[in-house]
Amino acid sequence: MIGSIEYLLAGTLAAATPLVFAATGEIVVERSGVLNLGIEGMMASGAATGFVVATLTGSHLAGFGAAAAVAALLSLVFAALVLGALANQVAAGLAVGILGLGVSTLVGEDVEGATIRPLASIDLGPLTDLPLVGPALFGQDPTVYAGLASVALVALFLRRGRPGLALRAIGESPEAAEAIGYPVRAVRAAAIAFGGAMAGIGGASLSLAYTPLWADGLVGGRGWIAVALVVFGAWRPGRVLLGAWLFGAVSLLELFLQGVGFELPSQLFSAMPYLVTIVVLALISSDPARLRLERPMSLGLTYRRRG
Amino acid sequence: MSFRTTPSVSRTAAGALRAAAIGAVALAVATGPAFAADPIEAGFIYPSPVGDVGWAHELDRGRQAIEEALGDGVETTVVENVPEGPDAARIMNQMASEGMDFIVLGSFGYMNDGLKLARRHPDIDFIHASGYQLADNFGTFLTRNYESAYVAGQAAGFVTESDTIGMVAAYAIPEVIGLIDAFTLGARSVNENATARVVWLNSWFDPSKAQESARSLIAQGADVIFSIYQDTPSVVTVAEEEGVYVVNTSSDMKDYAPEHLLASMQIDWSDYFVAQATAAAEDTFEGEAFFGGMADGAVSVESLSEDLSAEQRATIDETVAGIAAGDFHPFTGPITDQDGEVRVAEGETLDDPAILSMDWLVEGVETKLPN
Repeated sequence: MIGSIEYLLAGTLAAATPLVFAATGEIVVERSGVLNLGIEGMMASGAATGFVVATLTGSHLAGFGAAAAVAALLSLVFAALVLGALANQVAAGLAVGILGLGVSTLVGEDVEGATIRPLASIDLGPLTDLPLVGPALFGQDPTVYAGLASVALVALFLRRGRPGLALRAIGESPEAAEAIGYPVRAVRAAAIAFGGAMAGIGGASLSLAYTPLWADGLVGGRGWIAVALVVFGAWRPGRVLLGAWLFGAVSLLELFLQGVGFELPSQLFSAMPYLVTIVVLALISSDPARLRLERPMSLGLTYRRRG
Repeated sequence: MSFRTTPSVSRTAAGALRAAAIGAVALAVATGPAFAADPIEAGFIYPSPVGDVGWAHELDRGRQAIEEALGDGVETTVVENVPEGPDAARIMNQMASEGMDFIVLGSFGYMNDGLKLARRHPDIDFIHASGYQLADNFGTFLTRNYESAYVAGQAAGFVTESDTIGMVAAYAIPEVIGLIDAFTLGARSVNENATARVVWLNSWFDPSKAQESARSLIAQGADVIFSIYQDTPSVVTVAEEEGVYVVNTSSDMKDYAPEHLLASMQIDWSDYFVAQATAAAEDTFEGEAFFGGMADGAVSVESLSEDLSAEQRATIDETVAGIAAGDFHPFTGPITDQDGEVRVAEGETLDDPAILSMDWLVEGVETKLPN
């Protein structure tokens, strides 16, 4: 019994980590007023590239670096389309996302179905051996802690200090921000690149730590979940983290209850993570006034500089 | 109409390059003189990429066997990672218009489009994986994986200490249910306390979910994991990591779990593919339903763990010999289902139609079927 609870707690944090990275990056992008729907493809290209580079160099760190670089590069294609060519954000995001999926298949072709030594989990001796919470808190692989740190840093960045304020101002009203001298396009491009890099790292955490293998289609819709988490979590890092945990927990619980022999249609079980996450996040973010305040006003709108 | 020959090298196209590959097939119209003895042209369509293991990998080993056996007498073309539906229909039509003589359709979902094409092109011979439709130039192929499942189940029954076997399965379709039943019957034939728990993924392909399922089964006490139709080593690597035994289907996955692989249920299409390609070349092809088992060399159990004792191995060898010789059938009564109802009476065996439409789980499986 204790083993099962330990497994569920530790597994939840691990399962949520790829989502945490991708969604945290997407918060920054959307807060700047840009909707990037290409996250799924950026995660996939990061997962494949990270896996290939880590396999070739033997260094997981190099893999994560390459994953971030490739996904950021891909997101700059998106930035060029929406900021340079003033393309529709939804269409451009979908197109770049599909491109990213193609890139992942191509990059990963030679390592299809291959496995890799997983990123080692930390071991703090007696702390890790604590009953119930030990493995969850003190026995994870480094990506889990890095993911949590990124949430804290992004929350801090958005709430405190001028750069975060400038980013949010641009997301609310690019015209006003431009008028008082903020470089709207440069900031948005930087936000998009950051979001892309985070999606790439999220993808690589999947292929290098969580499911240490590459197979075409590995990301399996997690990029879309990340986008949904950001919206339903009202663009707030804390809530998005909560949503990612909830999603991770329910998807594990689903498999766990099936194994125990809980008698519910397994199709319903499979839909549970999506249902529960969306319902809970929608409920806690249901105050319309608050929601209007949190939503970046210029989200998804093409910004054309005047004059 | 010009004579067409495809390039004599086999072509492997990545999914991302699928469109390009279709284009390349279309452009391969290098006109040349018609040779007196034209090699036959064989096209292969796979639903997934050819990895190091898995379903498409085994199909491709069959293709290689054809190339080896027929040598200059055959030219093969592969298009992999083809989704069932319009993409598949387009690619097989393209192959037909290229003048292919023999087409292998590697997925159940290619059936309707393939059959339509076969009716339009009586001169092309088709073989199709795991379908139920036949025509003079349209055959199907299937393996009796339940035979190897029963044998691997015996190995599982021997090694389990918790008497709990965890199974990771995609969907509750007859073929998968048959494997679960045969495996459980095998385990209980040597260990009457053995029970099985199943997690349904409701997805053909989700390596992360498959791994999590295996972990949750292990957390619940399973010490042998049966990975059913997972095309990647996802489950096998988890078992190795967690230190529990694992059995997998389709390919040998010893490399991914050198310590804890209990057995691999290997599929081998080589003999069947070569026979069919030869028949196509000699114009003696007849669309037949091939249901290959141990007797045909189409299925076998490989890489049995060294941890099994000599005595246990002897039992397993005896079962294999019995199945291959036709003396023993895994679904021999008495077999009771989960609810205690006798489904196969003492002395009777299930016939092929009953195996192919299996929709009940045997006693010892603790999980119910969905719905």
